[in-house]
Amino acid sequence: MLSIKDLHVNIGDKEILRGINLEIKQGEIHAIMGPNGSGKSTLAAVLAGREMFTVTGGSAHFMGQDLFAMTPEERARMGLFLGFQYPVEIPGLTNVNFMKAAVNEQRKHKNLPPLSSAEFLKIMREKMAIVQMDPSFVGRGVNVGFSGGEKKRNEIFQMAMLEPRLAFLDETDSGLDVDALRVVAQGVNKLKTVENAFVVITHYQRLLDYIVPDIVHVIYKGQIIRTAGKELAAEVENRGYDHIIN
Amino acid sequence: MTEYTYMPEVRRVFSCTVPNANIRQVFLMDGILQDPVSDAGGIVLQKGPDQMGLRLHITGDHSDEPIQIISVRSEDLPQPLEFSTSWELAAGASAQVIVCDHTLNEYLYRTFRFSQIKLGQGARLDILFMQNEHELSRYCLDIKAGLDRDSQLDCHILSLYGGTIQNKLQVSMPQPGATCNLDGLYLADREQAVHYDIAVRHLSEGCHSQQLFKGILDNKARASFNGAIYVAPGAQKTQAYQANHNLLLTREAKITTKPQLEIYADDVKCSHGATIGRLDELGLFYLRSRGISLAEAQMLQQMAFVQDVLDRVHTRSIRSRLEKMVESRLRGEFTRCSHCTMHCC
Repeated sequence: MLSIKDLHVNIGDKEILRGINLEIKQGEIHAIMGPNGSGKSTLAAVLAGREMFTVTGGSAHFMGQDLFAMTPEERARMGLFLGFQYPVEIPGLTNVNFMKAAVNEQRKHKNLPPLSSAEFLKIMREKMAIVQMDPSFVGRGVNVGFSGGEKKRNEIFQMAMLEPRLAFLDETDSGLDVDALRVVAQGVNKLKTVENAFVVITHYQRLLDYIVPDIVHVIYKGQIIRTAGKELAAEVENRGYDHIIN
Repeated sequence: MTEYTYMPEVRRVFSCTVPNANIRQVFLMDGILQDPVSDAGGIVLQKGPDQMGLRLHITGDHSDEPIQIISVRSEDLPQPLEFSTSWELAAGASAQVIVCDHTLNEYLYRTFRFSQIKLGQGARLDILFMQNEHELSRYCLDIKAGLDRDSQLDCHILSLYGGTIQNKLQVSMPQPGATCNLDGLYLADREQAVHYDIAVRHLSEGCHSQQLFKGILDNKARASFNGAIYVAPGAQKTQAYQANHNLLLTREAKITTKPQLEIYADDVKCSHGATIGRLDELGLFYLRSRGISLAEAQMLQQMAFVQDVLDRVHTRSIRSRLEKMVESRLRGEFTRCSHCTMHCC
């Protein structure tokens, strides 16, 4: 589904990713762990198409297509999703109008007619229930005045609406209390099928108690230094990154 | 939503679909009032001096029956046109007025409209100016408003399309307890220019004023905003707020914004703020990462930017009509609209 080969990425003159290799197949859940500044978020952002990064070497193919030849919206329409670590606030744009625009663009891409307002609202209500989001959020500005937990729920809700093939969740657990963490994780588990795949970027083992990964990677200084099964997360938790780095 | 079309026989191809069934439409053709009104309910609408312009006098509560003045310029050999309109509300009266300015041809029209607003004690006027002309038109609106004790003026100006639009608005509050809410939205592209000159004078105590003006400028458009708030000695307990925010879509677009506060009383709350910015990169990426195209993301961000100005239009049906018009204006669909057959108000 996703194949990354020897990926090098710069921000300005600074090299952030220094040769990443990663294969993700459908039905898998990957976890990417690593200390601050190791390049976890950069990897997710560059795959989603954030323009501030420069790809200086290597390749990434999604569903057989060259990811870097596509605009961010084309990647999204092909089924790539990024759950933001810091979801963006957009005052004046309501959640409902935001999602309507996104869903209908996706449908246009699949040669489907736009959803009627009634159909759309029905789907929206169903998906909001998955993350136990209050219906009043529909008419509110995108992420405006949302708490940290509400913003993360909103990311998962958007993911539920768009039904991506591959979703990167960038530190979706940061800033969440235990209850919110459980709701978010349950949301992800409900959306998991044998056909899609998830990459969960996290600092902590805690989220991985709820979303159980098949494969765990540790990134350090822009390279994947260890790849193993879910026991690697426990090892990080118990012995720290230093132990793996050295 | 009830819609009906007004197709006056004598007035060539002009139709105006308004979303309110109970709206009263009156035409002002080249400055001349077509349908004087004098009804028993307290609305008197007649021609002004020299048969030009109009005078509206209102008694009683008419806030639920909006009056729409459709002012159209249509002459084939246009001369500069100057006329005055006056809006007078008796004590305790209330009214909602929509003034739409259009041109039927693409000639160089120059229009100077002087407008006087007089609100009696406790009167309430909600007035909306829709400026929708064409590339060559030169339009000047000069409003002077006097507010009596405890009266309220809500004035919205929507500068949608025009070659050069100049809006002057002076509000005086010589009696205590008056309120004025002024807001405006200006959209300009190519080489269009829009100028706003606002002065709010707090001359007595306990008056409130609030201003919100926003603009989006594309291509080589120019705009200026001068906003003065004056608080006279003794005008204690004044509350006066002003905000002007601008979005520039290109490097060539220019805005000059000059907020001014002059305060001679010491127990007041006043603030002003002006910003000039561009579309937000991160916000655009967020929208695009959900599959929304760049053009659509830019559009959504612009609509989001102007939303709080539109939200100040209280009547829902009129507001949603304005939202649609602003959207089609921002999408560049207005260039063929100079003949006003697009049912745009």
